[in-house]
Amino acid sequence: MSISKRSCLFGLVFLILAVSGPASADVGPTYAIKNAKIVPVTGPAIDKGVLIIRNGLIEAIGPVDKVTIPEDAEVIEAEGLIAYPGLISAHTNLLLEAPRAETSQGSPEFIAPAAAPQDRPSETPELCAFKLLKPTKAAIDSFLKIGVTTVLVAPNRGIIQGQSVLLNLNGEKAEPMVLKNPVALHINFTTARGTYPSSLMGTIAFLRQSFLDADYYATRQAQYNKVLKGMKRPEYDPFLEALVPYVKEKKPVIFQCNNLEDIKRALKIIDEFKLNALISHANEAWRDVAILKKRPIPLLVTLDFRPPSSSRYVNQGEDLRKKAEAEIYPANAANLTKEGIKFALTTFGLNDGSAVLKNIQAAIKAGLSKEDALKALTVQPAQFLGLVQQLGSLEPGKIANIILTKGELFDEKTQVDKVFVDGILWKF
Amino acid sequence: MNAIIKNLLISAFVLALIAPPAFSAEGSILIKNGTILTVTKGVMVKGDILVINGVIKQIGENIPAPEGIKVIDASGKYVIPGLIDSHTHIALAGTNEGSEAITPEADVGEVVNADDVSILTALSGGVTMVHTMHGSANPIGGPNVVLKMKWGKPSEELIVHEALRTLKFALGENVKQSSRTITVGGPPPRYPQTRMGTNAIIRREMLKARVYMEEWGRYNKLKASKTPPKNLLPPRKDLRMEVLSDLLRGKIVARCHDYQATEALEFMGLAKEFGFKVQALEHAWEAYKIADELAAAKVGISVFADSWAYKMEAAEGIAYDAGYCAKKGVLVSINSDSGERIRRLFNEAGKSMKYGGLTENEALSLITINPAIQLGVEKIVGSLEVGKQGDIAIFNEHPMSAYTRCEMTIIEGDIYFDRAEYLKDREEAYKKAQAPKKGGRP
Repeated sequence: MSISKRSCLFGLVFLILAVSGPASADVGPTYAIKNAKIVPVTGPAIDKGVLIIRNGLIEAIGPVDKVTIPEDAEVIEAEGLIAYPGLISAHTNLLLEAPRAETSQGSPEFIAPAAAPQDRPSETPELCAFKLLKPTKAAIDSFLKIGVTTVLVAPNRGIIQGQSVLLNLNGEKAEPMVLKNPVALHINFTTARGTYPSSLMGTIAFLRQSFLDADYYATRQAQYNKVLKGMKRPEYDPFLEALVPYVKEKKPVIFQCNNLEDIKRALKIIDEFKLNALISHANEAWRDVAILKKRPIPLLVTLDFRPPSSSRYVNQGEDLRKKAEAEIYPANAANLTKEGIKFALTTFGLNDGSAVLKNIQAAIKAGLSKEDALKALTVQPAQFLGLVQQLGSLEPGKIANIILTKGELFDEKTQVDKVFVDGILWKF
Repeated sequence: MNAIIKNLLISAFVLALIAPPAFSAEGSILIKNGTILTVTKGVMVKGDILVINGVIKQIGENIPAPEGIKVIDASGKYVIPGLIDSHTHIALAGTNEGSEAITPEADVGEVVNADDVSILTALSGGVTMVHTMHGSANPIGGPNVVLKMKWGKPSEELIVHEALRTLKFALGENVKQSSRTITVGGPPPRYPQTRMGTNAIIRREMLKARVYMEEWGRYNKLKASKTPPKNLLPPRKDLRMEVLSDLLRGKIVARCHDYQATEALEFMGLAKEFGFKVQALEHAWEAYKIADELAAAKVGISVFADSWAYKMEAAEGIAYDAGYCAKKGVLVSINSDSGERIRRLFNEAGKSMKYGGLTENEALSLITINPAIQLGVEKIVGSLEVGKQGDIAIFNEHPMSAYTRCEMTIIEGDIYFDRAEYLKDREEAYKKAQAPKKGGRP
């Protein structure tokens, strides 16, 4: 194809776009954020810039003298403010309805503990966090106030906990918030109470057996679907059915690793079953970076600095535990950066926005640069979650999750002045 | 060839000949002038041991020190093999999968906890290796693991891969009484509740394992045949049955917790019936009653030195159990079963001299070469011999003396415990803690 023909074609495409206007039928508000300093994260900062938001997306971005402000735009004067992409927390248990009350003691409907190998504990990989959502304004406000606009919400009970959902914190109704559902299968190295598996080694065996069984189940189902005739249909199993996409189709699995040993245990299982996995929590990743250098894996590192109960800092008195929480564990992120290990930061374990901010500041004080902290809360989680086309930076075409701050983000006196989620100005 | 180059080459060759043997500072040590109790090769009153790169290179008199090696003066002290604890539960995150009676898939090797301070306690008593086991809540518990007490090293570096794979079984009251407490509306008590039930459930599982093996055998045969049937699918892989299959194939050996002679004989009967190997009986309070049968079946025992009759099923235990059985040709080891007793395992072994009349060396064998044989690691540890790993403990008195204590513990040529250093550290920590804090309370 000659150059002239190609440019001709481009011109045609442009013409069609210009004539047909926005692809969506919805007409959201149009904003022009003017005179702000813009930090797009993926490109250089613009000292005095304009951001055009139309219909939930970023339409244009550039220096104030280069971008024309559309006539229909509501102009937001932002002199003295800094614009950043909305922050992403890639693992939370926010907005979930309170767990059901346990069946009272003495109930005649006692379910006997599992007695045979094929029996399983009442684990629910099919459970979707989306179905448990109970968004409240207070909870959403608390995170928007520190600039977090996007959260991954995972179920938080049991070993094979269920499937997470990714939300934009844009309101109190669940459906419009959803960016992706389901995102990942969540696994925690914990134990069942009063039933199998009651020990960590039992949990590990249970996980292995479950993955083996899912593979076995999928093989039989596939065979049956191939021949249809002349083969007895395999028995339907909702537990295994839910695991199949993660074991066979390699959809992402997130392992919650509460200490260094959990990271090693997860890596062993991940490699054994060739899972497409991420490691979350990981606040002891700093204890053995060599492992993570040798075997790179997406890390969702929590900003919760409480040392795990297995830590030797916990077993030797309250003084040492406090010191570890204040000085040793906050340096996790800084240590990982130093070793060139990729990670996203999450608010996992912290349900209050102000505590999150305090801990980000502690991580920065322990050696993490502000730029790296910002990346770990924007573009890095977007990449890990497979949404880097839509989220994680300020670029035309991306979702308009934007925060305007008075002062540099993460500084002690800095306040988040305005928040746009999906292109809508949030009202606190 | 150019004469200069030629000369250079010759001098390089000569240099290579006279240069000291290459060794790394880590894993190399020379212990001088100690009384060496080799356990298997007698006693050397004033001898040296040279460890290079983790392995004992030489034992003898006046061994010249290679340049740059760490030298320990053991004058007036006793140099012995690192002690081996054949049965304990330290360095684990969890001991029992007690929810069910049969859990051979629950492997303690998956939950090694290198942060357990009991590792340091073990080192302070000269212990360099342990067989850390699944608990005794279940008739068939789970696989155990052999660890070296490399305090401060990551968990995967503790595991001794050369050791036999062992599977924990348990009989008697612990099994019967697990989950025995009955609450209103709570779960029914777990089967089995009797000794006959325990025997029956183990037999049941072995029969299941046989069926499982047959099923896989048929599948593998069909798969390998010239014309495998269409739509041939493998059977379900069951981790529980996989472990029991390995037991029946002889790839794993049994270690069975038992107290009474009758249940021990019944278990040995099961082993004979199904063709699996019982490597040792644990605790075995009444082993003295069946010493001949144990010796004939080559079943070892791993026992306490005392605390007999501490509960009803131990009522007929006697202090002479270890010594008597050893003299009858049974392979005996003394174990700690505890993160505290592990620090004085040598005292425990010493008791077999008073009760049972063992010699010093026989008593020392109960915590060195004998457990090494039970764990299948006698080729690498358990005695001081050239070619074995440099796992060594230094005691101030003969290790079977009541006045003895461990001064230093070495694993593969590296010092992991040094009493003098440890006391110094403790003194400093104490001083630091006593120092008045700024603005703190007095």
